[in-house]
Amino acid sequence: MMRPWSSTMRLACLALAFLIVTALAAPVRAGELKLEAILIWGTDDEKSPDPKHKAVDSRLAKKLKKMPFKWRNYFEVNRVKFNLAEDQTQKIELSKECKIKVRNLGKSTVEIYFFGKGELVSKISQSLTKDECLVTGGNAANLTAWFVMLRQVD
Amino acid sequence: MNQDFQLKLQAYLDGELTERDTREVEAVLAGDPEARALLTELRNTTDALADFETDLKLPETRDFFWSKIQRQIQRQDTLAERPTPVPFWRRLLIPTGAFAVLVLVGWIGFKSFGPASDTEAAVVETFLTDAGAMTYRDEVEGMTVVWLSYPAENEFAEFE
Repeated sequence: MMRPWSSTMRLACLALAFLIVTALAAPVRAGELKLEAILIWGTDDEKSPDPKHKAVDSRLAKKLKKMPFKWRNYFEVNRVKFNLAEDQTQKIELSKECKIKVRNLGKSTVEIYFFGKGELVSKISQSLTKDECLVTGGNAANLTAWFVMLRQVD
Repeated sequence: MNQDFQLKLQAYLDGELTERDTREVEAVLAGDPEARALLTELRNTTDALADFETDLKLPETRDFFWSKIQRQIQRQDTLAERPTPVPFWRRLLIPTGAFAVLVLVGWIGFKSFGPASDTEAAVVETFLTDAGAMTYRDEVEGMTVVWLSYPAENEFAEFE
């Protein structure tokens, strides 16, 4: 016969297992951010003239299409993943003309510097938790646009 | 002669009847030869067995003897009712598990119904004279968009 508290024990074991898994999944080093920067090109053209460009994944495309942008297609130009310890700064070259410098300010806050042809053009500070992403964009030639997406990755 | 009367006859022989019942039985015996024959038979049997009964004498009083039996029965009942002892680690597991469940429920509740986001608005600085910036925030998608309004012919716009 089943003991009356056996279901409680099962539930307790399940909860403990969940907490252990959650604890193990936590970042190894406190304050370190695992980031990903993606350079995206927005256009109304169906295909990119550069064969190296590939369409952004459907999830990202869906997100971008929900934004108040006018472009119908988005192509991934480059993607860079990097780790950033607290107070550390890293320079990322997304293309020949588009470079960014990212600094981890701690508490999941980052500071991003945008460079065009080596010249500093903009600086953005933003809290970037795991579910958040920061998209910076601007006009490009022929009524197209560029975007840099920065987000945390697992 | 029914069974009840037969039993009553045995009780009569053993002297266990009330005066009233005794009178009733004696009245029946006076008029019923079958009853008398049974009484004789029962008496003979009792007399025959009387010599075989052991004269058992208790070392204590009758009341004390029975009270010992009663205490023993009560002790056994108490032992039967007492629950099986639960090991220490199991006793600890139940409150620990309950606490873990509470923490889990609290965490899920906070994630589900707590503040949607503690994300602060992006702070934007531009370093070109003819540039501007516009910020758009989508809470559902967890996305902050900063639009830098550089002219398309700007060098920065040539991102490749």
